[in-house]
Amino acid sequence: MNKTMRIIGIATTVVLVVLFLSFSIVIVDETQYAVVIRFGEIVKVITKPGLAFKTPFVDTVTKLDKRYTIYDIPPERIITSDKKTLVIDSYIIWRISDPKRFIESMRSESLALSRLDDIVYSGLRNSLAKYDMDTIVTQEKDFLKEVLSFSASNVKTFGIEIVDVRIKKTDLPIENRNAVFERMKSERQSIAALIRAEGEKEAQRIRSEADKKALIIQSQAQSDAEQIKGTGEASATKIYSQAYSQDPQFYKLWKTLESYGDIIPGSVILLDEEMDILDYLK
Amino acid sequence: MRRWFIPIIVLVVLLVIYIGTGVFQVNPSEMALIKTFGKFKSTVGPGIHIHAPIPFQSHVIVDIQSIRKEEIGFRTVGDQKYETKDTEALMLTVDGNIVSVEAVVSYTVSDPVKYAFRLRDPSNLVRFSTESALRDRISKRTVDEILTGERENVADEVLAIVQNLLNTYDAGIKLVNVLLQEVVPPSEVVSAFDDVNNAKQDKERYINEATKYANNLVPKVEGQALKIQLEAESYSQQQVLKATGETQRYLALLEEYRKAPQITETRLKISTLQEVLPKAKRVMMLDNSQKLSLISLDEILGGDGK
Repeated sequence: MNKTMRIIGIATTVVLVVLFLSFSIVIVDETQYAVVIRFGEIVKVITKPGLAFKTPFVDTVTKLDKRYTIYDIPPERIITSDKKTLVIDSYIIWRISDPKRFIESMRSESLALSRLDDIVYSGLRNSLAKYDMDTIVTQEKDFLKEVLSFSASNVKTFGIEIVDVRIKKTDLPIENRNAVFERMKSERQSIAALIRAEGEKEAQRIRSEADKKALIIQSQAQSDAEQIKGTGEASATKIYSQAYSQDPQFYKLWKTLESYGDIIPGSVILLDEEMDILDYLK
Repeated sequence: MRRWFIPIIVLVVLLVIYIGTGVFQVNPSEMALIKTFGKFKSTVGPGIHIHAPIPFQSHVIVDIQSIRKEEIGFRTVGDQKYETKDTEALMLTVDGNIVSVEAVVSYTVSDPVKYAFRLRDPSNLVRFSTESALRDRISKRTVDEILTGERENVADEVLAIVQNLLNTYDAGIKLVNVLLQEVVPPSEVVSAFDDVNNAKQDKERYINEATKYANNLVPKVEGQALKIQLEAESYSQQQVLKATGETQRYLALLEEYRKAPQITETRLKISTLQEVLPKAKRVMMLDNSQKLSLISLDEILGGDGK
């Protein structure tokens, strides 16, 4: 019986010790800060992971995430210096750098996010209002450095570090988008028309050049033909004159007689009595 | 003795279960980070391992070999099925146009400790950084550049920018690649863009048709030219041959004439008249009294008159 009592006694002691320890140790993860609060007052901030201690039953511990966190700021409309509206979708990467200040000023992360939202949005709006749309959309986004330093200095007192402010999207509002689509369409239509016209022009050039070439070939052939004909005629004339010039008197006779064959048939002939041929008709 | 037996067994079982909380398995592509009271102590590779039970030690498993993926502008919704996310995909270009870009960024964990302990949402960090860099790079180019040759350059530049950002955040992430998927005009204007391609086809067609016309015309005309030339040659030849023929006949006659001029002349005259006069319509003779005598040629030339 005595033995049983002793065992129960030991067990109870062990349980009490474990309970006491469990209320007095704080396990801080690699990803966390731990803030020890006693009656609403911060007594200790633990920034290093590992085992830490607190006063049991009196101290409460609040753990905060110390990792880099993305906060996606909802898309906002912004007016640019050339009075155009852009929808800016930005995000920030931030983390809690000073847990004590953070707890004192923010209490909770959701409150911190709404503050971040306000500050970064106003930073963006102020910076972007200085630039025109073209610069904001197409140029190097140097204005983000302004926004980053503005926001970072503003949230420093809240124990927050802003690592980066970046723009995910710069878009036109939906109503402007359709105008862009219309312009793109008409732009493409004019490009298409230009390409077709170029094709027609090129085709016309090829046809005309072919026509020209054909005409030249034809004319050249005709010219050559005339030349060849001329040469032939010249040789023929030469042959005739060589033959006929041998005896002009005979040629005259021969040619005259030959011409009768062409002249007389079908005509009315008046003959003089003196003609030799008719001598025998008298 | 038997009364103690059951509680002891219960105790032992509870103890085993308690120690069992320290047993864990690490798969082949993974690595486990072991923490003692929340503080990172060591890493272990694949296999079955044991560490001290809760609350003394705990572990985080990080897949360090698998390639992770973030999709920009679209989502894989099933096997081989994709869904375009217009709000993400549509981007402004430097010439004020809008283009739809879909991309995939692949990455691996290069430093599991940083990856597990420094970042709250690593996949979104990669996604947002890529989206931001992609839009930035797209906005530096014209829509035509993006749709044609600049895709590769955009992807390369995005890779460099995002990797640089992740290095700045000390994220322990190594990008594998950035691949642009569908890069197309927005669906609202795609038909107009298609028409430009059609116009290019039309242009080719016009030119081909004209070339065909030219290729057909020139040989045809060359054939005609050859014909004209040959005709001329044959005419020329004909002229020469005709002249040669005629003069040969003449020269033969001349030869005769030279031998006997008087008689040949008379013969020629008479034979000509003989041949020619019958073909005359009328032959009239004037005598000294200036009276016209009508002669029927048939009578004169002794043909068999009617």
